[in-house]
Order: sequence, then structure tokens, then C-alpha cells
Amino acid sequence: MLQISTVRRQEPLGWGSCLVFFAALALAFTVSGVLLVMQDKPPFTALWLLVYSAFGSSYALEDCLIKAVPIFLCSLGVGLTFRLQIWNIGAEGQFALGAIGATWAALTFPGWPWYTLLPTMLLCASLTGSLWGAIPAVLRLKLRANEIIVTLMLNYVGILVLDYLVYGIWKDPGSFGFPMTSEFVPAAVVARIGDTRLNWGLALCLAVGVLMSVFLRSTRLGYELRACGENVRAARYARMPYAKLVILVMAVSGALAGWAGFLEASATLGRLQPSIMSGYGYTAIVVAWLANLNPFVIAVSSFLLAGLRVGMESLQLDLQIPAAFGAIMEGLILLAVLAGGFFSRYQLHLRRTR
Amino acid sequence: MSASVPAVSLRGITKVFGAVRANNDISLDIHAGRIKALLGENGAGKSTLMSILAGHYLPDSGEILIDGRPRSLRTTKDAIRAGIGMVYQHFMLVEAMTVAENVFLGQEPGFFLSPRAMREQVRTLAQGFGLDIDPAARVADLSMGEKQRVEILKLLQRKSRILIFDEPTAVLTPQEAEQLFAALRSMAAQGKAIVYISHKLGEVMALADEIAILRRGEVVDELPAAEVHSQSDLARRMVGREVLLEVRREPMELRQNVLRLQDVRTETLKDVCLSLRQGEVLAVVGVAGNGQKDLVEVVCGLKEPKKGEISVLGKTWQAFFSAPAWQGGLSYIPEDRMGLAVCRGMDLVDNFLLTTRQGYSSSVWLQRDKARTVAQELVRQFKVQPPDVTCQARQLSGGNLQKLVLAREFHRRPRLIVAEQPTQGLDVSAIEEVWTTLLAAREEAGILLVTGDLSEALALADRIAVMYGGAIVDTFPTGDRERVDRIGQMMAGMRPDADH
Repeated sequence: MLQISTVRRQEPLGWGSCLVFFAALALAFTVSGVLLVMQDKPPFTALWLLVYSAFGSSYALEDCLIKAVPIFLCSLGVGLTFRLQIWNIGAEGQFALGAIGATWAALTFPGWPWYTLLPTMLLCASLTGSLWGAIPAVLRLKLRANEIIVTLMLNYVGILVLDYLVYGIWKDPGSFGFPMTSEFVPAAVVARIGDTRLNWGLALCLAVGVLMSVFLRSTRLGYELRACGENVRAARYARMPYAKLVILVMAVSGALAGWAGFLEASATLGRLQPSIMSGYGYTAIVVAWLANLNPFVIAVSSFLLAGLRVGMESLQLDLQIPAAFGAIMEGLILLAVLAGGFFSRYQLHLRRTR
Repeated sequence: MSASVPAVSLRGITKVFGAVRANNDISLDIHAGRIKALLGENGAGKSTLMSILAGHYLPDSGEILIDGRPRSLRTTKDAIRAGIGMVYQHFMLVEAMTVAENVFLGQEPGFFLSPRAMREQVRTLAQGFGLDIDPAARVADLSMGEKQRVEILKLLQRKSRILIFDEPTAVLTPQEAEQLFAALRSMAAQGKAIVYISHKLGEVMALADEIAILRRGEVVDELPAAEVHSQSDLARRMVGREVLLEVRREPMELRQNVLRLQDVRTETLKDVCLSLRQGEVLAVVGVAGNGQKDLVEVVCGLKEPKKGEISVLGKTWQAFFSAPAWQGGLSYIPEDRMGLAVCRGMDLVDNFLLTTRQGYSSSVWLQRDKARTVAQELVRQFKVQPPDVTCQARQLSGGNLQKLVLAREFHRRPRLIVAEQPTQGLDVSAIEEVWTTLLAAREEAGILLVTGDLSEALALADRIAVMYGGAIVDTFPTGDRERVDRIGQMMAGMRPDADH
């Protein structure tokens, strides 16, 4: 009889883990292909179209970058909480609250010049987003409420607040009854970079990404955060401020998601409307895990999953493949990569027994 | 009762975890109709041995014979099929279900269940062994003692013939413990083989037919209970007196007081008084579970005393531990080094920074390069293997991990060191290095050494305090041979001045 046992790897798997990663991607694509065949769609054409229409032209690449910005910001935030083993799955709601905060500033101070209005919008988005993130943190510390449940529930609350505003008091009188605010004044719109369709939010992402990795690597608080995430008991033994860190990471995570909401409302839509909620907050969770919580890898995987969204738009148009298939592929990739993570940490030993 | 063929026979069982020999060539016979006590300190290898018997671990070598025939126990299912059942310290019951439902869980008689028939069966079974329980009661409403009876009934219902009890009285009141003992005797009388794991001497003497004593992964003594004359005899056999190694201990000049406890009380501590000076090692010895844990937690600021005065390095307890950051002065070397003293997934520099970070950071920035240089030097100086600060703490063996913790803590130049079981689970060469290091630390510090190993106390300590039942029975210099000889008695709760 052949017996399989698993042994924890003593040495971390270096380049081998890249191999595991690509094998996992290949597996996810294979399963996706099988699903396409079951729908009578040509799998190779479809997968090629997916890749080509996402990354095959400069126009498409611009699209990917535009979509990668909100995913990256949300993902950087949730990744930070995951490091502390706080499971914030509420980026979606924090994103909504950020968009609301920014919109409030845009609608309240329409006469301000851009150099005061945009920072105010950013500040309001940070405040509302971080408030939405800090609520579950406080509930967890004070009442031991599970933050997974609370952040998830607050997503629905946040989205309903947004709906309430755009269907009600903020509805544009000239919108023919459509649920949307009136268009932002030009000073409230984040400008584009040169004559591309990209906006300066991209530069903000770069700055935040660099700051985040500097914070984690070189500051004392960042070190304490990593240690608390590794072993809470040891952190208490070493007298680290665990409660403070929980509130901090949740607030920062909420603020980052809020910035994503601000950029979407301001630069992409130019107003607040329900279609702003397109699931970036959930994709962010997938991205964070794909990237193993590393800020630079989060940037790369944000771009790739943004590409999946862009490519899916073409599949919808050209092959009538439903949009939900994109979510299915997203899930398959995550599952395959997480399962692959097992092989990075463990070795399989085959043993012949009597 | 067939006394000739043991119900279970362990032959040369060895189990190694990393560098630690948890079990080393252990051979034991367990007979039907008898109660066998397995006695030993924490970490002596009792739990590992029983986990092997219950099918959780495979031994690295050795074999297990059930009724004289070799059996391979690869899974818990194999063990259950072989008639082995274990009552764990942490009960595994479905709280929302009734006693009868819990007893039949996983061994339901058929697809359709008759609650009444199940209740009747449980009632009969319980009465047969003198276990008092209401089969219709919800488990959530039961006391700890009653829950334990449900666990026992689960095994009896499966017709387990070999029953293992892992420190069963730890969660019981004295009355419940008495009831348990009666039930155990009844089970033995009806032909079950009982293994009773404990470190409580009185219980073992009262209950067992045979006693096996484990120390550092080996059976050091095995004898019929009738041959044990007193608890002190048993305590002496358990902690051992043979000199494992000798380290040179130069007398030091005693300087200022670093720790003083006056009439300190918690739930378990009873009016504890002790004092410690710089340059001195005070060993607190005793059978595990007699208040040592509370003592350590109080001294290290993890638990607030209910009553009494404590002065730590010249400050009151409140003043010392309400200081915002841990400003050094006190170092705690915990027993659970893997779980408490290090982050296994971080590298050695990060682990070095765990308690020294105040010295290697401004208010914002961490001076990691400076820390790396120092950590590198310490790793070399303390001969930590591998001597590579970029490797993760999990890659280190227990002994090297302990050396890393010691290196880190001594680097903080503490004036008070609390070392809890500092050599538990270490091999002989590592023990020697840890001992030498601790003795060297007396230069600047007073050391409170909490240990269950008498040879360690005798090798290192200037004075020895014996704990029993949350109180300090006696404190005396290590040179007082007469009282040292009576440590066993004191550990069993006898007054030091009582005649022996």
C-alpha cells in the first residue's frame, strides 16, 4: 500500500513557489475552459480573447490600470488587517462610505478651487471610510464581536446608505428620475495625466504603496504589527499595544477603501450613483491573498485581476458569455492559488508500507 | 483475569520531535483488572506516550502488543477498534445534546433511534459502574464531574477495555474526585485495564495498583504501589536526585534586594512571602500545579495579586507594571518558549527585537541594521545553531531557541530574571549551556528559578523554596543537607518541622 504523508518544509520554497503559482493559474484556466465547453463556447478562443482584450492593446492596458487603482487601494487596506489576523471583509462598505464622504464635500463646497476642494474630498473620504472600519474594530475589542460578521454586515448598511442618498436627498433634479447626484463641478474631478485616460489617482497609489512597505519594514509600529500578527501571545508577552493596532489597521484599511471610493466617484464617474458599487471591495480580498499580503505583489495582482474584468467585458460582447463568469474565474484562481500555497509550506512524502 | 498476558504491552517505544526525545525506549505492561498510574512532571513524556497509544502519533520505533499480538495503531479509529479509550482533560461533548445522545454519538445503533431505549441502556450501563447520571439531562447543564462521567460512558458503551485518564481530577471537586475513584475501582474490578496519568502523589498512592514514573522521556521507576511507603518516597523517585551534570557555582556577593513578596494572595497563592537579592538564585520547587504558575504570573505582571505587598526592583507592583513601556530590569523566560517567547514565523533579528525594540528604535523608526549586527554577535556568542540571523525561529531546535531567548533577555541587562522550567525538553549539552549562562547572569541579577527538576535546583540555587498547595512550605539554603533530604516530604505537603 502506498501511503502519503505531509511534512512541513523546513526551508521556505524559493523559486519553486513561482512554479507552484503558475501551475495553480494553469489549473484555474483549465477548469474555466471545461466550464466554457459545458456552455458550448469555444474554450481556446474565449481564453485567448480574454487575455488579448485585456492586455493586447494600449487602450486595454489603460483600462486595466484605471480599474486596478481602486482594487489596489482596497486590497492594500484589507491586506494590512489580514497581517494582524483581523479579517476585514468590509472594504466594499468602506469604499461606499468614502464615496459618500467625498461626494458630500463636492456637493457642499462647489465654489472652492480644486486645490482646496480635492484635499477636502480626500479628507472626508478618509474620515467616513475609517469610521466605517473602526466600528467593527471597537466592537471586537469591547464586545468580542466577530469582525468578519460585522464588516460584512456593514457592507450592506453602507451600500443602503449610498442608495438612500442618491435616491433621496442628493438626487439630481435634472436626472429624469435616475438615482444619481448632479455632476461634480470640474474642480471636484481628479485630473487626467497628460492626454491619457489615466488620472492622478495612480500616482497616489504609487505613493501609498511605497509608504506602506516602508511602514511595515522600517517603523517600530510596523514591526509591532507584524509581530502581533505572527503570535498574539508573544506580542502580549513583549508588551505590544495590540488593541491600539487593531483600531489603527482597521481605520487605515477603511480610509484606503474610502480613497478608492473617492477616486471612482470623482475621476471615473464624475458623480455618485449606485453603479459605483462594482465589487472592488471583494476582489480586493482575492488580490490580497493572491499577493500573500505583500504590497508590491498586491500592485501586480491588482493589475492582473483588473485585466480579468476588462477581458470579461469583451467576452460578454463577442461570445455572449455572462458577466458572472468573471467572478467564477476570480474564485477559481483564488482557490487554486491558495491550494497551491499548501505545497509551498508542506512536502509530500510517499512511503510504501506493508 | 489473565495476569499472564497483559492487555497492552508497549515495547521499546521511542518518539522524537525535532531534537527532543519525548519518549526514549519505553516499555510498559498494562494489565486487565488493574490500575496503573503514570507519574511524571510536565514534559516528562506521559502525554506523548498516551497519544501514541490512542493512535494520534506513530512511534518512531518500538511496537504495541494488544493481548499479546502486535497491533499497528495508525489512527484513532484503530485504537478504538483495539479497545483503547481515552478521557481527555478537555471534554469532547456536544453541549446542546442529552447525555444519552452524547454517549451514542458516532455509534448510533441504526438509522432510526429510540431515545427511550438509548436512555435505558445508558442508565443500566451507568449503574453497573456506579456512575451517577441522568441520561436525559442536557450536557450544557451538567457539572464538570458529570460531564466527565459522560465521557467515561462513551468509552464503556464502545466496550473499550483499556481506559486512559489524563489528569482526570484537575477539573473536579474533592467530592467528585472521590466518586471518580470509586468508579475507577469498580471498572477495574470488572476487568478493565486503567491507565491513570497524574502528578498528584496522594491520588496515585490511594488509587493505583502499580506505579510507573517517567522522567525526561524515560521510565525511571516501575513498582507495585504496595512498595511505596510514603508520598515523600514517591516525590523523591519522581524528581530524582542523581546528579545529571555539575556546573561550577562560585559564591557571589549579595547586593541590593530586587524582589520582595509579603503575604501575597491570589486564587491559588496563600500568603506567599519571599525575597531575592542581586547575585542570588532562589529556586522554587514543587510538584506542578501547586501555585508556581500564579507566582510567576504575579511577579511578571501578568496577573494582579488580590492581597499583599510586592516590591519589584524597588518599586511597588502597581508602579512597576503601569510604566508605559517595559523599561527593562525584569526578564521573563517562560516555560512555553515556542508559544510565548518567540514568533516562529519571523527571523532571528525580528525575534531579537521582540523585547529589545525600545533600545533599537526612535519614536517612529526601527533601527534594524543596528539590531541585526547585535543579534549576529549574540547568536555567535551564545552558539545558536544555525548561526544565521535570517533563518526563521521555527527552524531552531528547542535548545537553540532557548539560547536565543536567553541571549536576548540577558542583552537587556535585567536585574531580575524569572526563569520558568528553563531546561525542560532540552538535551544534556543544551542544559549545561543554559545552566552556565544563568549562573553567569547572577553578576547583575537576582534569579527566581521555578523548576520541577530537583537536580536543577540543587545545581543552581543558593536557596530553595518548596511550594505546596499555593503556599511556601519552607525556604532554606541549598547547603542545609538535612532539609534538602526532606524536600520530598515538603513537596507532599508535610511541615518541615514534622518528624519523619
